[in-house]
Amino acid sequence: MMETIAELADVTKTFGTNGGRACAVKNVSLQITRGELILLLGPSGSGKTTILTLLAGLLEPTSGHCMLFEEDIAKYPPEKLREVRANRIGFIFQNFLLIDALSVRDNIALALQFAGRSRKNALDQAQKLLHSLNILSLSDKLPNKLSQGEKQRVAIARAIANNADLIIADEPTASLESKQGSEIIQLLHRFAKEQKKCVVVASHDLRLVEFADRVIRIEDGMIVEKRVRRDNDV
Amino acid sequence: MNLYSIRILVSQPLRLILTVGGVALCILLMLFLISVYHGVAEGSMLYIRHNSADLWVLQNNSWNILRGTSLLSTGHGIMLRRLPYVESASPILLGLPAISAHGRTVSTFLVGYDPNEPLGGPPHIVRGRAIENDDEIVLDEAFCARMGIEVGTTVEMNDEPLQVVGISSGTNAFVIQYSFVSLNRAQIVAGFSTIVSCYLVKIRPGYGIPKAAKLLHDDLPGVEVFDHPTFIENNYREMQSGFLPLLFTIATIGAIVLTVILSLLLSISILERRKDFAVMKTIGSPSAFLSAVVSGQALALCMAGSVLALVLFFPLCQIVMTLTPELSPIVKIEHVGVVVLAAAMISLTSSFISLQRLRNIYALEAFI
Repeated sequence: MMETIAELADVTKTFGTNGGRACAVKNVSLQITRGELILLLGPSGSGKTTILTLLAGLLEPTSGHCMLFEEDIAKYPPEKLREVRANRIGFIFQNFLLIDALSVRDNIALALQFAGRSRKNALDQAQKLLHSLNILSLSDKLPNKLSQGEKQRVAIARAIANNADLIIADEPTASLESKQGSEIIQLLHRFAKEQKKCVVVASHDLRLVEFADRVIRIEDGMIVEKRVRRDNDV
Repeated sequence: MNLYSIRILVSQPLRLILTVGGVALCILLMLFLISVYHGVAEGSMLYIRHNSADLWVLQNNSWNILRGTSLLSTGHGIMLRRLPYVESASPILLGLPAISAHGRTVSTFLVGYDPNEPLGGPPHIVRGRAIENDDEIVLDEAFCARMGIEVGTTVEMNDEPLQVVGISSGTNAFVIQYSFVSLNRAQIVAGFSTIVSCYLVKIRPGYGIPKAAKLLHDDLPGVEVFDHPTFIENNYREMQSGFLPLLFTIATIGAIVLTVILSLLLSISILERRKDFAVMKTIGSPSAFLSAVVSGQALALCMAGSVLALVLFFPLCQIVMTLTPELSPIVKIEHVGVVVLAAAMISLTSSFISLQRLRNIYALEAFI
């Protein structure tokens, strides 16, 4: 049986006060295990990103339980939760969100420093990672000098730099052309399979369905469909 | 100082230049004020320090010569010299007459002294010589620079011509400058030939100064007697009370302006980099790292501003002294240290104020 990385158990998340209360996620139960790529599919505002942030421990549920690495998030002290995010979770954001003032290598090294590496070690590690992803030539460039596809590759490099067990990707292909998007999702798929990591992707891009081990369709904050890919689908 | 702080600053060169310029101006203002203050303190006090009498004898209830009136008679001098423990008693007469030269008339802090007595004369003569008779005068170098006076120039005081025979330094008290004439001349200017302001007394060897002061009090009623350190302290306090509040107010305004500039800039920088900070919070940045980013920026700006201020300070002083000779700033390495330290404290305060903005940035913003 595969190790459970994260789990949402009957989770509801509402925002706002009594006057203007909005329910972003309603009674969602979801288990995420090592070695799979899960696609949260749904239109904008359906609650995909809220589920991602709940999984990462960035939000506390209004009701229900969020488990991360087999511990209830509610029991994590804030510093421990920060350490977990720095060491065991990688993030890929919709618009890449690389830090403009830092070079590609420094962007990656920064994530490694947050995970406790020394600066020198972090820079060495970042260099190796860029080499393994065939983007070493981008090392000293600033993010604003990169193409969209290059930016996303660097964002992925930053996410996987700390050898994260869980990769959270929010609309990773939204800003990319079809070919680049396909390459990126294949890269994430390969990472999940070869490294035995877990990748959770939130997207409304139907082209990603064929790469997902599980597709979970979200509408109005609720899971409306769960579909498991057969082994010969890809 | 972390790399990210520097990179953020360098990524916007124009803003960096303007901010460093603003910080440098504030530091320059503080440096300038402190150096002017010390210049005034030195200019006001050097005459008193230089004339290191064992005892200063003044009229009863007088305690300083900078902003007080003391009138004694020449008879007091005769009595003083008769006392067995008094070696010498040098009289001085102080006044505030005007001097005219080249069609301009300016007030001066006149010291009349007896050139034949050991004490009472100017602290340093930078050009020319000390006075020898009643038709001569020694003027302060800043006064001379402003009035276009040189050694050999004839000036007028109370419609009487006086030849400038020497130029003194350490005699510029900013609002007024010392000048030196004979006691006789000062008494003619005052209109009374038998008055002096005070006596600078030297005690014979073998008599302790405290003991001599007590004896003098008993032997010469109606006078105040101060030893030299006490008299310096009295005058220093008086000088400070007249000048320090003004400088302190200006320096405080400068410090507030610097704090506001830095706080505003750092706050704007934080808001502009809001997404960056949100991303860093999301990917697990320790809060100390983010605080260090902001403090690092503040300190980097402070350091750059300090360097620029120091580079500009000395040429600026030269320009100011050329345009306004009365301002004679004196700067010492410890003054620079104090100002730079104050600027560093201000920058840390600014970063502390700006950190409130950082606390209101949430990791979730990276997903919006």
